[in-house]
Amino acid sequence: MISSGTFHVVTTELVVGAFSVAGLSFTLCLLIHLDILKQPSWSTMLDHVAHFTLAFGLVATPFAILSGLSSAPGEGLNSPILVNKMFFSMTGFGFALGCLLARWRLGNKVWSTTKSIALHGASGLAASGSMLLTASAGGTFARGESLLDIFHLPYEHVFLFPVLISAIALLLGMTMLVLGWKRMNDSSTVH
Amino acid sequence: MKYRIHTVFVLSLLLLCSAFGAAEPGGNGDSIQDMQCGGACHGDASINETSGAILTLSSPATIYVGIPTTLTLSVTNIDTSTTRLVGLFLLTDMTGHADTPQDAGWEILSDVNGGVMNYIEQTLDSGQNETSISWVIRASTLGTTTFHAAIHHGGGYSTPFFGTTATGVEVIVESVPENLPRLVADFTPPTLRALDTPTELNIQTQFTDSMQFEWKSEDGLITNSPVNSTGNNSWTTTIPAALQPTTVQWRVILEGVGPEQTTPWFTLAAEENSWEVAENAVYLQAFALLFMTAGIVIALQTRFISDSRTSDNSAKKYGGEQV
Repeated sequence: MISSGTFHVVTTELVVGAFSVAGLSFTLCLLIHLDILKQPSWSTMLDHVAHFTLAFGLVATPFAILSGLSSAPGEGLNSPILVNKMFFSMTGFGFALGCLLARWRLGNKVWSTTKSIALHGASGLAASGSMLLTASAGGTFARGESLLDIFHLPYEHVFLFPVLISAIALLLGMTMLVLGWKRMNDSSTVH
Repeated sequence: MKYRIHTVFVLSLLLLCSAFGAAEPGGNGDSIQDMQCGGACHGDASINETSGAILTLSSPATIYVGIPTTLTLSVTNIDTSTTRLVGLFLLTDMTGHADTPQDAGWEILSDVNGGVMNYIEQTLDSGQNETSISWVIRASTLGTTTFHAAIHHGGGYSTPFFGTTATGVEVIVESVPENLPRLVADFTPPTLRALDTPTELNIQTQFTDSMQFEWKSEDGLITNSPVNSTGNNSWTTTIPAALQPTTVQWRVILEGVGPEQTTPWFTLAAEENSWEVAENAVYLQAFALLFMTAGIVIALQTRFISDSRTSDNSAKKYGGEQV
């Protein structure tokens, strides 16, 4: 039986590796679709790589979160860094989920207009960025240092909403997700 | 061909950069570690260098089973990296596996940082090239044990350094003389306390008629605290509250029919109260962030796609050009 600490290392490496490749692929996709990088033949390959690695990272994320919580010293969320890690990872999970659902239901249309390209690329990059921030916070928590220390990120401060605001935001988010899903289904069946 | 050269160049550059990330320059934190911890990253003959630090481990002449005793490690000639961080190990052999004092049947009751770890990290002051630390340990069985110490630290050009004591220190654990005043065999000193609260210590002893209590702060000033007897071989005393995270050390002098005994200095660290948060609020907000971000992305994406379709249809309807 492996310890949760070892399992956390394995899962975080999967998550960080997958999201890093996804972030790089989304960047190149954006550059190609915005006509900055003149390599249109790479477009399909990068699109597939970006979304596959994003999906792979998304599958590994819950395991990383759960093993991280159980391997943290002490009981529960006893450090502001752990709370920020939770917020970053769930935000990244949301961005990745939205990005993948949009690509699944809308297909290549996500790359059809400038606004859509910008939004899709930004959501993929935001997912990758959130996960890398999570990993950075993990490094700060476990070793007292991380690669992103040069930005002096305020991991020690937690921006915690009142419960009522969080509940409203949760309901609002779920409503938007359901309505968006229905609109996407309508949109994907109209050709 | 040109792209291949570029690719090889970039990959080579990345491989060279890996040397700058060697080991963990920020440290690992105090913990229970085999020598392998330092030996793995700092002991690899292909990438490490031997530390020039001189390690000297010393122990009292007589050690009794079940009675706490002190092992002191003096380190001189330390030359570290810019972080000034050194890691020090107390070990019972040099195999790299199952070589902690606990593996040899010893118990660490107190370390210099207010824990019970055999691996201790210290950040040296600028210009400081020597240090001395101690562990309070207790043997559970009679016999002979050889203790070793090891050090690892960084250096110039990210090179990891590793060093050990030249020879081990052999300690012989003897049985306790009759009527020796002492702490009870299962006494476990506290190592941490909260800020702003005086610490009351309840100490159980054996064969003791009277007890003196001494504590000293980090500046080395030794203070006596009054001791109250709460029963036969049961004592209570108080250490004043700490106003900031700091460590104090304390010991007791035991008198009875047998020879007078002085315990080792036990380290007691004061730390801020643990951080607390309403966990349900955190989980609720985390899921709110998940659904909000996913919902916003999907809602905007569908809107942008339908807007473009509407404008396409309008353009067709009114004979305009498609974009």
